[in-house]
Amino acid sequence: MMDQFKIGLALFIFLAIPPVASFMESVMVIHMHMQMPMLVIAGLLMAPFFQKQFPNFFEKWNENGIPGILLFIIIISYWLLPRTMDEALSLTSVEIFKFISLPFLAGVPLRDSWKKLSDFSKNFVITLFTIVFLGMGFLYIFVPVQLCNNYLIIEQIALGWAFLLTAVGMIVYLLYVAFVDPSEYE
Amino acid sequence: MEAINANAASLKNKANEILGVNPEDAKLTKSFLLVSFVALLLGGLFGLLQGINRAGLLELPSWLNYYQVLTAHGLLLIVVFSGFFMIGYFYSGLSHTLGGLLPKVRKLGWIGYGLSMFGTVLVVIMVLMNEATVLFTFYPPMMAHPIFYFGLVFVVLGIWSCCIGAFIQVADWRKKHKGQHLPILSFFATGAFVLLLGCTLFVAVEVLFLILPWSLGWVDTINVMLARTLFWAFGHTAVNIWYLTAVSAWYVIVPRVIGGTLWNDTLTRVVVIALVIMNITGGFHHQIVDPGISDTIKYMHVFMSLAIGFPSLMTAYALFVVMERAGRRKGGKGALGWLKKLPWGDVRFLAPFIAMLAFAPAGAGGIAQTTFQLNAVVHNTMWVVGHFHLTLGMSVAMTFFGISYWLIPFISGRVLTPAMNKLGVIQTYIWAAAMVLMAFAMHTAGLFGSPRRTSYTTYGDHAAALGWDPYMLLIGFGAVLLTIGVLIQFYAVIHLMFFAPKGQTEFPIAPKEPGDVTGYWTERWGVWVVLLIIVVAMAYVVPIVDMIVNAPPGSPPIRPW
Ligand code: HEM
Ligand SMILES: [Cu+2]
Repeated sequence: MMDQFKIGLALFIFLAIPPVASFMESVMVIHMHMQMPMLVIAGLLMAPFFQKQFPNFFEKWNENGIPGILLFIIIISYWLLPRTMDEALSLTSVEIFKFISLPFLAGVPLRDSWKKLSDFSKNFVITLFTIVFLGMGFLYIFVPVQLCNNYLIIEQIALGWAFLLTAVGMIVYLLYVAFVDPSEYE
Repeated sequence: MEAINANAASLKNKANEILGVNPEDAKLTKSFLLVSFVALLLGGLFGLLQGINRAGLLELPSWLNYYQVLTAHGLLLIVVFSGFFMIGYFYSGLSHTLGGLLPKVRKLGWIGYGLSMFGTVLVVIMVLMNEATVLFTFYPPMMAHPIFYFGLVFVVLGIWSCCIGAFIQVADWRKKHKGQHLPILSFFATGAFVLLLGCTLFVAVEVLFLILPWSLGWVDTINVMLARTLFWAFGHTAVNIWYLTAVSAWYVIVPRVIGGTLWNDTLTRVVVIALVIMNITGGFHHQIVDPGISDTIKYMHVFMSLAIGFPSLMTAYALFVVMERAGRRKGGKGALGWLKKLPWGDVRFLAPFIAMLAFAPAGAGGIAQTTFQLNAVVHNTMWVVGHFHLTLGMSVAMTFFGISYWLIPFISGRVLTPAMNKLGVIQTYIWAAAMVLMAFAMHTAGLFGSPRRTSYTTYGDHAAALGWDPYMLLIGFGAVLLTIGVLIQFYAVIHLMFFAPKGQTEFPIAPKEPGDVTGYWTERWGVWVVLLIIVVAMAYVVPIVDMIVNAPPGSPPIRPW
């Protein structure tokens, strides 16, 4: 458990090193589909530490997992907006908010909530993100104007395809869950 | 009474496991292997022509020019010989370890066989008619006759039918054996078929959406970069599947032949999973000098290619562990005494062993080639040809030969006689010596700048070109020796299939080490496929979008022959 915390913290610090951060932010897809998820993963890894330090807090505020997952959804949705990505590049305060919100307000609550959720809620969340990602994918691919000051249209299109492929990955997973009953095999 | 019945049943199971061969499944595998080795024979004869041409000893006639021969050699060996062997071998592995193929799976296997045979015949006819002298990479803007591409489509359809058959077989077995692990050979087969399906999707897109409309004249131009990229996502992965097939025999079969045990079941499965997830993205290392791909992307792909080196190093380690363990149990003493205890006179061991050894220089050369600056030195030279004759011509082909000495008797209800074994050992030494010689000469000539895919020329007696000649002669000498090897191998296959004495042969599968328990999580194929998609997306989205959106004007067809 401590090990996981250390790995998560190390990942967090690594991502925050200025050359690493500025490299990852220099490419739009890497910014959104690598840096941001890796920040969330850093949070996932650090979560058990906080759960142990503040058991009452999580017990009280996230008893059935719903508040936590809602917080996760809100934070992630916020960072899906083109404008917020742009601002993270231009305003230091927003950049700092990104580095705090994604691990600690998305990653930590996700880990705390996921086990508490029913299978239905889990698949609901994945379905939600599949639909959102499909929408974002089409948006980024077909919108005729440049949405970010900092990224060219070509990068936008690449990001759109990355969203679509991520959605395809999730659809494969959902189909697998829907049609393959693990109890038939295990 | 019940106990006796149960005993009898389990005895029967045991007997089936060791000896049983389903005659109908055997026929399927036999058909695949026969095609495979006929392709080896023809491809090898073409190789001979190439070798002595490049030695400067033979000028090919205009009705069978060097590039036509080279196209046939490449396609017959890298696609037909390897692909048909892989499917035949894994189908018999599935049949043997999963209690016989389901009737519908067998049917899918036959459909696959028919479709790919039909496709292969179309392709070969077009090549022989000099209508498709585009080499096995069929890079646009060189354009072949549309029938050539239709042939490729049928080959791919046949492959898909075989892939789906394999998946159905595996899913059905898992349903009937809840909570059990897929037998390790079938695990390898599953991984290989997942990759095969994944990589052929790329070439299908290339042929169906880019090349066919263009070769039929529906569109005037083609996006060359995009086609090359899609091709290498396929081509690179394909050869790695042949390698994975060979690796399966190193892990599963060889330990049994030397009387040992599996290395470690879980870690073996981890190697398979790693190779499946990380493979396709290596494709870009074939395009290191292609324009239109940014440095950043190329840099990322160096990393992706080297990542595959890791499971390969695990493999090297594992195999020596297995051999040392078996050798020591047989009483081998000291640091290297165990080596003496290995069955060096058994072709079923010797051939794959030399194949593994060859992978050391082959892998090292591969790491060199995948590095930007070093690639610039050897790109498109004979060095590269030397490299893949080590990887494919030695590592893969010699493993397949080694397999043939027990698999063909097994499916034919015959036995490997000591005399045939002896012939196999001789064949192995001839092949090994000749390939080493030829590959060494190719590597060296390449370092001195001799280009690949170029029929014999002295460039007007240019001094540099004349300096290659001694090596080119060596290549020709190697080619002659190799042809003797091909003939012996082909004879052995036909003999074992139709004329060897009848009897029963074992399908050698090594048992686990006592106490080796497998993690169930390795069976989560759904997860591995999702990871595969994510890795592919990470590698390909940015460059492909760039190639499409920022495409230069497309290219009209060119026919340089
Ligand atoms: C009788 C044995 C063989 C001989 C004498 C031989 C010889 C050659 C020669 C001389 C070349 C042409 C180099 C050039 O001009 O670029 C070549 C190319 C090639 N060989 Fe072989 N080879 C043999 C076996 C194999 C095997 C077993 C494989 C694979 C399983 C293989 C795969 C290839 C491929 C893929 C090419 C490249 C074709 C191209 O550049 O389009 N060869 N071989
Ligand atoms: Cu490759």
